[in-house]
Amino acid sequence: MSEVLQSLFVLGSTHHQAPLEVRERMALTPENAAALQQELHALDDIYECLVVNTCNRVEVYGLASAPTVEATVRDFLCARNGVSRELPTVEATVRDFLCARNGVSRELLDAHSSWHTNLDALQHAFEVSSGLDSQIVGETDILGQMKNAYADARAAKCTGIVLNRLFEKSFQAAKSARTQTGITRGQVSIGNVAVDLANRIFGHLRDSRVLLLGSGDVAEKTAQSLKSRGVADITVASRTYENSHTLAHSLGGAAIELSDFAAQLKRFDIVISSTAAPGLILDRDTLAAALKQRPDRPFFLIDVALPRDIDPTVNKLENVYLYNLDDLSNIANENLELRKAEIDRARIILKGYAWNLWLQLRRRTLMATRQEELGLES
Amino acid sequence: MLEEIVISAREALAIGASIYLSAFLFGIIALLIRKPYPRAAMFTLLIGGFLFQTLGLNLRGAEIKGCPLGNIFEISQFIAWSLVLLYFLIGPAFKLRLLGFFTAGLAGLLAGTALLIPNWDQPYPPGIFGGNPWIELHAALAIFSYAMFAIVALVSAMFLIQQHGLKNKQFKGLYQHLPSVQQLDLMARRLLITGVVVLSAALIFGAVFWINHPERVPIFKLTATCLVWAGYLTVIVLRIQKRLVTRRHAIASIALFIFALASLWPVQSARDTIATEVPEVPQTSE
Repeated sequence: MSEVLQSLFVLGSTHHQAPLEVRERMALTPENAAALQQELHALDDIYECLVVNTCNRVEVYGLASAPTVEATVRDFLCARNGVSRELPTVEATVRDFLCARNGVSRELLDAHSSWHTNLDALQHAFEVSSGLDSQIVGETDILGQMKNAYADARAAKCTGIVLNRLFEKSFQAAKSARTQTGITRGQVSIGNVAVDLANRIFGHLRDSRVLLLGSGDVAEKTAQSLKSRGVADITVASRTYENSHTLAHSLGGAAIELSDFAAQLKRFDIVISSTAAPGLILDRDTLAAALKQRPDRPFFLIDVALPRDIDPTVNKLENVYLYNLDDLSNIANENLELRKAEIDRARIILKGYAWNLWLQLRRRTLMATRQEELGLES
Repeated sequence: MLEEIVISAREALAIGASIYLSAFLFGIIALLIRKPYPRAAMFTLLIGGFLFQTLGLNLRGAEIKGCPLGNIFEISQFIAWSLVLLYFLIGPAFKLRLLGFFTAGLAGLLAGTALLIPNWDQPYPPGIFGGNPWIELHAALAIFSYAMFAIVALVSAMFLIQQHGLKNKQFKGLYQHLPSVQQLDLMARRLLITGVVVLSAALIFGAVFWINHPERVPIFKLTATCLVWAGYLTVIVLRIQKRLVTRRHAIASIALFIFALASLWPVQSARDTIATEVPEVPQTSE
């Protein structure tokens, strides 16, 4: 019998339904995700299956048989006999398997998950791949994660015509939504905003030298962002030399004593400060002295410490650009608002793709049914 | 072949100026509605404007049988044309974002203003350079160096806008498309040095003529040109000494370009006066 009237579904637990502590419990190891995929695919009622497992979402995409004639007849008989009969649905089966794999109760999963079918499932998949459904709207990591999940499932032969088509189309749809709207425009993390600003000051960052004052988390992430964009020279100065050394080692840089940084300041282009010092550690005079020795090269200062480490008046010095945590957060938040304003436009584009694919799949199913009927008649 | 073209020189130049201004307006609209910057469209429009301007200057050159640099109108058109030519030469190599947009604006402004002021297009006798190719080369090089200074002024203006945005935490619209301050600063410095080299060469060619025919070179023109040259040279020296950097360097470059442009009109007037007083110089072998 050909695969007719199948039901496309997505069972998911994401940041929309589940708080962090629940998501932690829902998360699957890569091995468990692959095993769940295989287990579900091995079931008679599920023809195709794919598991997307990221830090913010566990989702099971699948193609299953629709309620069959048999189920309808059984229901009819049970109703006649007055016997209650609960035929396990595909949804219940998938939920049970997921619970078994991540070790959570059905109640917890039911309370923190969503279930989409057919056209809704298509729209959902497209919104996920384009980053509309992400915690940070428009982020691009999810597309790579979807592509990896698809490649793994395909290699494991768990996908077929429908899911292959669905995922390939979702990558196209994501590209369209991103290029035709502003959902990915502007940076929305502190680290990336700092990198953007550094680009506006220095152009390429290959030759820029970074000094990290203190070993705070935000400063470290910012330094990592800069490193990922080409910065090769990173130096760490912290009150505890061991901390400096450890952080410098992880960033592939060097460590210096905090007391030495002022004397070496002229060597650096970008200074990220995040010490726990109660007062200022970089004043206007120190910076002016360093600037005098390199008047034609700009200084980009990022002060993410609270209380602040860098004298705010240094921004008045020629060729000095000072940004504190609030400045960076404001830029990130405004970018995020701009992205959110584009969601509706992106959704309309994705809806068009979803409808097109849905009609294609329906047409394919109808044609397969018709061919099967003709085959039986002859 | 040029005789077969039905369009007049002035019409071709007007179409060129209109295309430059359209490109600039197109860029403004794209920036205002926050669409991605239309780099390819801007480049295409600039090519279109440049072709019409080239045609116009060629037709004008055919009319006067020489390099069309005889009045303020032609000089303005030639500066605008050289500016766009320079953009084509340095734009793709240095990939300075928005340079095309600013070039279109300045070229449109120069060419458009020249078209709108009829007094700038005063007729002058043919062979104004006395058929002397060295003087034509001097004039062409001098105007080309002015185009370089124009592009330095543009890059400096872009630098000041970007710096203002960075100092005041502005990042949307125009600011996000501009190149980095360091790139702009470096670019301005290199172009300034090149411009001064070209102007120096122009002055050397002009000096040969001046030594042979001092009566043909008005003292006001000589003074103004030397002042422009000395001004730019001073900026370069101060820059090398790191005493005039970044913001002040940008402001000095813009101020000097405005002075250079402003000096063109009295220079031209002084030359016109001399031309009516002194008989034409016969063609020499210089």
